[in-house]
Parts: sequence; C-alpha cells; structure tokens
Amino acid sequence: MSSNVFGVSKRVSLTLAAGSAALALAACGSSGGSAGSSAGSTGTPVRGGTLTFAINSDGTCLDPHQSPADVDGFFARSIVDSLVALSDDGTISPWLATSWTVSPDQKTYSFVLRDDVTFSNGEKFDGAAVKANLDHIVAPATKSQLAAGTIATYTGTTVTDPTHVEVHFSAPNSAFLPSLATAYLGIEAPSTLTKPPSELCSKIVGSGPFISSGGYVKGKGIDYVRNAKYNWAPKNAKHTGPAYLDALSIRSLPEDSSRYGALTSGQIDAIASVPPVNVAQLKSTSGFRIQTASAPGGNYNYYPNTAKGPFADVKVREAFRAGIDWATIVDKLYFGVFPPGKGPLSPSTVGYDTSIESAYRYDAAKANRLLDQAGWTGRDAQGYRTKDGKRLTIVHPFLKQFAREQRDVVADQVQAAAKQIGIEVRTTNPEYTSYIKDVAAGNYDLIDFSWQRASPDALRTLFGSAAIPKDGFGTNGSRLSDPALDKDFTDALGTTDLTKQGALYGDAQQRITSAAAVFPIYVFNYVLGSSTKVQGLRFEPQAFPLFYDAWTSK
Amino acid sequence: MTIALAADERRGGGRAASSARSIGLAVLRRVGYAVGVLWGAVTVTFAALHLKSGGIIDAIIGQAAVSPEVRAQIISDYALDRPWLVQYFDYLGHLLRGDLGHSYNQGMDVTTAIGDQLAPSFELMAAGVVLALVGAIVVALLTANRPRWIRGPFAFLEIVGVSVPAFWFAILLLTVFSFQLHWFPAIGSNSFRGLVLPAIALAVAPGGTLAQVLRDGLERALDEPFVTTARSRGIRETAVLVRHALRHALMPAITIAGWLAGAFLGGAIVIENVFSRQGLGTLTVGGLGRRDFPLVSGVVLVAAAFYVVINLLIDAVYPLLDPRLRPVAPTTAGPVNAAAAGITSTASPSVSATGADQKGEG
Repeated sequence: MSSNVFGVSKRVSLTLAAGSAALALAACGSSGGSAGSSAGSTGTPVRGGTLTFAINSDGTCLDPHQSPADVDGFFARSIVDSLVALSDDGTISPWLATSWTVSPDQKTYSFVLRDDVTFSNGEKFDGAAVKANLDHIVAPATKSQLAAGTIATYTGTTVTDPTHVEVHFSAPNSAFLPSLATAYLGIEAPSTLTKPPSELCSKIVGSGPFISSGGYVKGKGIDYVRNAKYNWAPKNAKHTGPAYLDALSIRSLPEDSSRYGALTSGQIDAIASVPPVNVAQLKSTSGFRIQTASAPGGNYNYYPNTAKGPFADVKVREAFRAGIDWATIVDKLYFGVFPPGKGPLSPSTVGYDTSIESAYRYDAAKANRLLDQAGWTGRDAQGYRTKDGKRLTIVHPFLKQFAREQRDVVADQVQAAAKQIGIEVRTTNPEYTSYIKDVAAGNYDLIDFSWQRASPDALRTLFGSAAIPKDGFGTNGSRLSDPALDKDFTDALGTTDLTKQGALYGDAQQRITSAAAVFPIYVFNYVLGSSTKVQGLRFEPQAFPLFYDAWTSK
Repeated sequence: MTIALAADERRGGGRAASSARSIGLAVLRRVGYAVGVLWGAVTVTFAALHLKSGGIIDAIIGQAAVSPEVRAQIISDYALDRPWLVQYFDYLGHLLRGDLGHSYNQGMDVTTAIGDQLAPSFELMAAGVVLALVGAIVVALLTANRPRWIRGPFAFLEIVGVSVPAFWFAILLLTVFSFQLHWFPAIGSNSFRGLVLPAIALAVAPGGTLAQVLRDGLERALDEPFVTTARSRGIRETAVLVRHALRHALMPAITIAGWLAGAFLGGAIVIENVFSRQGLGTLTVGGLGRRDFPLVSGVVLVAAAFYVVINLLIDAVYPLLDPRLRPVAPTTAGPVNAAAAGITSTASPSVSATGADQKGEG
C-alpha cells in the first residue's frame, strides 16, 4: 500500500514529497512482473560476500510503523518479516502466518502462525507478538503517518493461543492483506515496542533475513549482516534458509552524478534511480545491467479541480486532455525510461483496464471544438480564449522546490502546449504550507502528484469522495464526488474475490475516464543499475528491491 | 617617605584592582554580546518559521494520510496549539536548561541529531580551513612581487577557483580522481582518504580569495621602508617575507576570515551533498523544507556559536600581530610602533573598530 516513491516520502510524493529526501530522483514500485529484468538467474547462487547498494535519498525514521517514507520501508524490509507476502499478480502467500481465513462479514481475519520463528534478539514470535505490533501501529503515541491509516478500521486482536490470532475490524477491508504484506506493518520484536518512538527511529529488531545492530545512521545509511538462523522465508521467495549475502550495506548518495559514477567506477555494486539520461549509456556498458520495474498504483498525474473554476465544465477538462500531446512531451523528456500514462492507473496495477487507453489520445481539433462548445469562443490580444470577456486561465500551484524527475520541465511544456489551444496555465510556486492550505480549501484548478500503491484500491484513495482535501492534504485532487464510484470502491473492499474486484475497479476506471478527472503524465519505473556480478536481485510488488535472494559472483 | 610609599602602593593596588575589574567587565561584555547574538539568532529563526502562513502541523504531516487522533497527538506533543508567544518563551526556557527539543520530522532529539552530524561537518570544515590557509599563504609567498609569468597563472587560477561553482568543481574532482583514477573513494566519510577531495573542493574558493588578499598585502608591505631597512641589515629575503612582510599582510586576511567562515559553512552544505557525507548541511536543508523549527533552530544556534567563537578568535589574534592593538602598556610604545602605525594602512579600516574596542577593554 502506500505510495511507492522510493526514496521520497511515502505520502503522496507530490511534486514535492517534501523533506530533504525529496530533492532526489525517486524510484518506485514494481509489479507487473519484474519487467525487463534480466535479474541474474545465471549460475548457481554463491554464499558469502557483501553487497553495497546506493539509494538517492536519506531516511527519516527506521521504524516503519511510524514513518511514511519509502526509503524507511525499504531499509526496514530486510529486518522485519510480515505475516503474509504479496506477489506481483495480487495473490497472497504465507510468510509468518501459514494460513488464514476471513469471516463472512469480512470483518475478522483469523491467522495460523508459524511456531518456529525467533526474533534476532532471541524472543519468540507468537500471537502476542502480532497483537503487540498491530496495537503499536494504531497507538496515537506512535504517531504513525502511514501504517495506521491502512488499518484505520482496526478494532483489536484476540490471541487465542500462541499460534492463533484473530484481527478485528469495524468495517470490511479487503485491502488488509496487501497492506499487511508491506514492511509498514512488519513484525518487530515485541519487547522493543515499549521503547520510546525516537529510539525505534534509529534501530529496530525483527525476525528478517538480515540484522542491523548499528541501525540507521543519518546521512550515511545502514549496514546489515545475515541472520544465520533465518529459516522462514515467504513462500514466494526463490530459496529457503538464510540469505546468500554475508553482509549488506546501503548508502545514501543523493547526488545523481555521484551515485552513477560510484557505480560505473566499481565503488558500489548497485544503485537505485539511474538518472534517465544515463540509462542507455549504462545498458551499453559491459559489466553492467539495468533492471526496471513499473510502479503500480497512480501514475504521476495531473488532477483538475472538478468542483469549481473552468475545470468544473467537463468539456473543458476533455479539451485539456485531448488538446495537449502528453505522450510526446513525456517521450522527449525521459528517453522512454518512463512511458506515458494512459489512464488513472499504472499498467502494472492489478485490475488495470486497457480499454480506456484510447480516450487519452491527442486530438487538437477535438479540443478546439469542445472549447467552442463550452462557450470559450472569444480571443484576447495574447491569443487566449475568453468567455464573457474573461480569459480561460488555469491556476496550477506547483512546488518547484520539491520537483524531481524534471517535473518542472513537464509543467513548462504543458503550459506551452496549452497556449496552443488558447488556455493560459498559470504555474505558481507557493510555499509548502500555503500550498497545503490552498489544496485543502480547493483554491486551485490543477494539481500534480504521484501515488503508488500495489493495489487497484489506489483508485479509492485518489477518487473516493472521502479523500477530498478538507483539513489538510487529501489525495482526491480532482475533488470528484460520485456516489456510483464510491459504491464501486465500497463493494470492492467488501470482497476478496479478485475477479469481482476487477469488474468493480474496471467500472471505476471507465467512470473516471468519462469524467475526464485525470490527465496522466508518466508511469513511474523503478530503474535499478547494477554490476553484472550482482545476481538474484528482484523487486517486491511494493517497489523495493529485495536482497534475500541476492548474491554476488566473483 | 612612608606616606609616599603607601600612596604608591595604594595607587598600584588601585591599578591592579581596576585592571582586574576592567578585564572582568570586558569578559562580561563579551559573554553578554555572545548571548545576545545567540538569542537574536533563535528569535529570528522562530519568527521566520512561525510567522509564515499555514500551520506548522500541515508542514509536519504534509501529504501523509493520518487519522485525526494522530494529528491531535502530534499537535499536543509539540504544543502547537498554544499561542506562539507561549511557544516562544517555552522554547527559550528549555534552551536555558540545555534542552534543544525534539525534531518534528527526524524522529529524534535535536541534540542527538546535531551531535551525530557535528563531527563530520567539523572535520570537513577544519580540513578545508587548514587547506585554504596553508595553500593561500604558500601561494602568496611564492608569487608576491614575482615576474608576471609566475604571478599570472596563479592569479588566474585564483580567479577561476573563486568563480567556478563549488558544486561543479566537486563533481569534476570526483570524476577525475575517484571515478577515473580511483585514487580516492567517492563515498564514505570516515576515512582520511575520503576527506581529501571534499576538503579540496571546499577550500578552493575561499583559498583563492585569501591568496589574493594575502599577495596584495605582501606586495604593499614589501614596498614599505621598513622592508628596505630589514634588507639593508642583511636579512635574507625569505626571512624578510615571512618575518616582516607576512605579518602585515595577514591583518586584512584575518579580517575577512569571519566572512570566510560563512563561506565555509555554506559551502559545506553543497559539498556534503555531492560527496554524500554526513553533516549538518543535509540536516538543515531537510529541516527548512518542513519547517522543523527545533531542528533548524538547533543548527542556527550551532552556526551562531561558531561565528561568535571565530570572531572572538579574530579579536584575540589582532593584538598578537599588531602591537598597537595590545593593551596599553607604556613600555612597548616606541618608534617601532610608530612606524608600524604608518605601515599597516591596509588593515586599518576594518581593524580599527575592533582595535579600539580591544584597547578600551584591555
């Protein structure tokens, strides 16, 4: 769950994603099957060795129960195990839980737990540990900025015996298992959870394949050693028993050229977020390879304010969608590393509906026709369309300070393209808190952000009426409020049947498309560059490279 | 006679007491000045971060989806619902007890957050300062009053060093000496080898400025009559340069050292980023973006303290180099100082204020 802008805050990685980390290029979730990965399957895995991996951003708090940042979930993933594991196709595999059942009313999940698992501090994993973790996540004192939100309707856990627990909700929540599979709901050693939250920010203890005794050091990164006792890998892993690597070292190298140079000069074995401009070059360099995986969930999209202003008229929204050659802008800028988006969701999301793609085609003639029909027939001295003497102006608050992946260039080009069809896009560069205030109050015509999440339930987050910004930021940037859509989302939460979910989310995508409530920009691809010595690196559906199956050849 | 003696003693004792008192007063004034600077820095930071539109709570939460309970917890933990004046005095109260508070976004105490980053930053700056100083002095000594073909290239390099963005120069150093030649690591701030390139990148711009100021000062000093006198006494040229001329040339260089300290602080932020070093730079940039007041204020305090210390050091060094600025002690007044008074004209504008201050206090 959660947005997967790897390296940036997990909260909507707006143009901003705020925070020191945000300046960095970010990477993201995979799914859709580690696309294009030639992920080393050559030869027999070798035990031993150290892998050094560099990412583009810095962590904030290692405890995934507290932090919403992708980078923190990524750091924690090697340390904590989850009850279940999520596969690219949306299916759930056993991990610390061997099996589970869902009550008919979808409000109670019963888990059978493994009884052979110990945390790296010697504590035994049992039902009480599950309860302690879920309770810790929702406790207000934890100040969880992501995990608690994914189980907002959690009411409590009943421990029947050491290997049986029941988790209760006040409302159906079919997104629970995919959430549970993320590192954010990972299981930490219960005795450590009584420590003050700030201590957990630098050091956590889990049962995972790696142990970090030093914890996370700001500005440096994190070092791990193998957990030699590890024998409870998730069912969807490629091997069992301890990890192949003796040690793992993750460094924070925010500067693109430094990170890329450190890889090509052999000082680092693999890096996240290869700069798009270097991708082709690295591919053609012998001894290196690129693995990409497309992030599931929302693309980097523009959202029109459907509630007021010029975009309250669906014809104007349709005209904006048809009148700008989005695909060409994206292709020219990212060299094909990030493909153009063709719908509200990324194609790698389970339940993606291909039938809507044609609605997002460029057609300038249609755009002009629609604008004429909408009454914007006049022209002023600068060539912009007018109606009743008023210019067709779209206000786009854009946080330039936090722009990554050249999103500021995209904004400039969209502005220029809109002028061609007579629309003035006024891109403002507000201060962070006034931006949040304006978004909450609906004082904008267009906003932009990406929101990754390994489930089509991302649609509910992005277009459900409950997510319309009110007190603070909200993810329903288009402020769409459609009871039929909301019903689709509620029904989908009430069923764990993937086929039924697919039909409901398909209908939702159709409705969103006919409402022209989104202008897709690009699909975020996680671009991982590595030496060919690095083998077996793969992605979990959430975005993060997994090191459990990784090994290095000499 | 006894009376006279007693009077003498009294006068002597009185002088000692008044001098002790004036030293005490001077120290007090210094401390007061330092506290004032620190208080001003904290107050300005508080105003800058609190008087902007939008609530700090929005900056802390950002785009995270948090429940109303968590929002309320954050507000109460950081006392954000209280009037800003109360928050301000509350913060000052904590400061007086040595408590810098808890960072809004870093999940740790500010003291810990800064403590972890202080050593690497200090290491980098110390290396940069030493490099810049030594480099500038050596270059200035070697090139002052030399033929154009020696002086020209160095002067040109200094201008290039000052003009080229530190960011770009750092990448260039990395590309050549780390990525191509593999002499130095691009990452890892814990080793001496890892410090070399960042220190050079940091030192080059301030070093260039210093070298120019120093050479300028040296050349002026070498034209002065006392140099001719020294040479006529048969003192070797090196000794003339180092022992006589350099002392004069150093005055303006030390005067700009306070300004250079700022250049080093600012430069360190860029350099830390390019070389992925631990340090206060990234911490500060991140904190500012999210209006993390306790963290930003903590860093500002450290920076302000740094400035205060540097300025104190500068004030302490002046009298060592310029006898006119020493505490009034009649025996040292003499023709040599009179000569010096005429000579160190280069230093006078900026020095005089501090010098007068020094005299008054001494």
